[in-house]
Amino acid sequence: MAVETRTIRVDYLARVEGEGSLYVRFRDGALEDVRLAIFEPPRFFEAFLRGRALAEAPDITARICGICPVAYQMSAVHAMESAAGIVLGGQIRALRRLIYCGEWIESHVLHIYMLHAPDFLGLPDAVQLARTHGDLVRQGLRMKKIGNALIEAIGGRAIHPVNVRVGGFWKAPAQDHLHALLPDLRWGRDAAIKTLQFVATLPTPDVEQEYEFVSLRHPHEYPLNEGHIVSSGGIGITPQEWPAVFEEFQVRHSSALHARVKARGAYLTGPLARYSLNFDRLPPAIQQAARDAGLGETCRNPFKSIVVRAVETLFAFDEAIRIIEQYQEPTPSFVAVEPRNATGHAATEAPRGLLYQRYDIDGEGLIAHAQIVPPTSQNQATIERDLWRVAEHGQGMVDSELQALCEQSIRNHDPCISCATHFLDLTVDRA
Amino acid sequence: MHEAKLMRDLMAHITASAEQNGGGRVTGVHVWLGALSHFTPAHFVEHFEDASAGTAAEGAAVTSEVSTDARDPDALWVRVLSITTESG
Repeated sequence: MAVETRTIRVDYLARVEGEGSLYVRFRDGALEDVRLAIFEPPRFFEAFLRGRALAEAPDITARICGICPVAYQMSAVHAMESAAGIVLGGQIRALRRLIYCGEWIESHVLHIYMLHAPDFLGLPDAVQLARTHGDLVRQGLRMKKIGNALIEAIGGRAIHPVNVRVGGFWKAPAQDHLHALLPDLRWGRDAAIKTLQFVATLPTPDVEQEYEFVSLRHPHEYPLNEGHIVSSGGIGITPQEWPAVFEEFQVRHSSALHARVKARGAYLTGPLARYSLNFDRLPPAIQQAARDAGLGETCRNPFKSIVVRAVETLFAFDEAIRIIEQYQEPTPSFVAVEPRNATGHAATEAPRGLLYQRYDIDGEGLIAHAQIVPPTSQNQATIERDLWRVAEHGQGMVDSELQALCEQSIRNHDPCISCATHFLDLTVDRA
Repeated sequence: MHEAKLMRDLMAHITASAEQNGGGRVTGVHVWLGALSHFTPAHFVEHFEDASAGTAAEGAAVTSEVSTDARDPDALWVRVLSITTESG
């Protein structure tokens, strides 16, 4: 029988709708309930990892997120090396810091320009921002592309990189390959200063929230891959002690887990926490840029998170340039990791906050148990608390106005939830 | 996971379109990637391969047009322009 081939014009626009929902209930002039539900398919990644070789963890965990795959890889490899009793230094350590800079750049720029800035200008999305501020959006797109190019140069691919391995990298990038990125990175650093100056002019509500900030803190550096876990409430622990101090728990109204400090409650990770707990670890020129943008040494106004993100973007460009200028190709590009029966823990700073992972490894190097605690779940309870305050304040608003303010409040913290909540399904129950 | 949900919506439409036009195997898919969609062609192909597994579109060749116009009303999204089917 003859094979018939047909080309069919489709012209169908694929889009995502209704991934997040917010329920707000008022009774007799008082706010009674606020529930944020994020409908993500259960990820099962912790189950996927059971029985797999420890070497597979960086490639599997990278698939959890297209915006922050490096964060998942970095926490995974550091946890595996912690289980093996290995601490890496030198140029492998520097390369890990460098690839993380690429991720901070692309994620922060995405968040600032595509997701968050339109809120402050009363625009529905980045398309409208491109119409009113075309040059600005083009600048943002170029900055994001530079972040992706940096990830690709080290990780082999811009999204879900493949060159990260336990013990280092499959292949180290050549020195001239990284040096070729310097002109774009220097342009990006200037663009980051302009970005900071722009976001500092955006109108923000004058509010301060009582958060318990949680982040890494390193003895000398602004934290990316290493450090103790500290908090504004007095916590100071190693990543190994995370399970003793923090816990995840389920709530009935959302498929996403929440997390809390045991016997105390909600906390916040991410740019506001990192900045406020590590201002003194920023280079002096970036501290000054932050001051020039109107920030103090701490920031408790969630609507100012866009300014803090711009400070961290500037830092990431600056740090990437510094690392590349000093870079020498490591030989070999990895150290062998001998498996042993042990548990490994690690926490690194994903762009949107602390990312903790724990693995139980058996004597043959297979994963017996995996726990992955992303910033999304750690911040969920605090985001609901923010929404509670917004809803109290916005009781007299019409629903569309209240919805816009709630969406903006969520985007203060998290780009991943932001994707979902650009299509927030708001139910205001005033019966 | 944003991509996974978008891809599910897209795959449902591709397979339905093939079915409505006489069925058969989908051998080619031509898409337009919006400037703000955050897809690169390679990243799109990876997600397509995952989403199409076990469907009539498994193994289809994907070709892409990448838009650079951030002002396009659909810049945030992905558009399926055409599909090629093979039957018999």
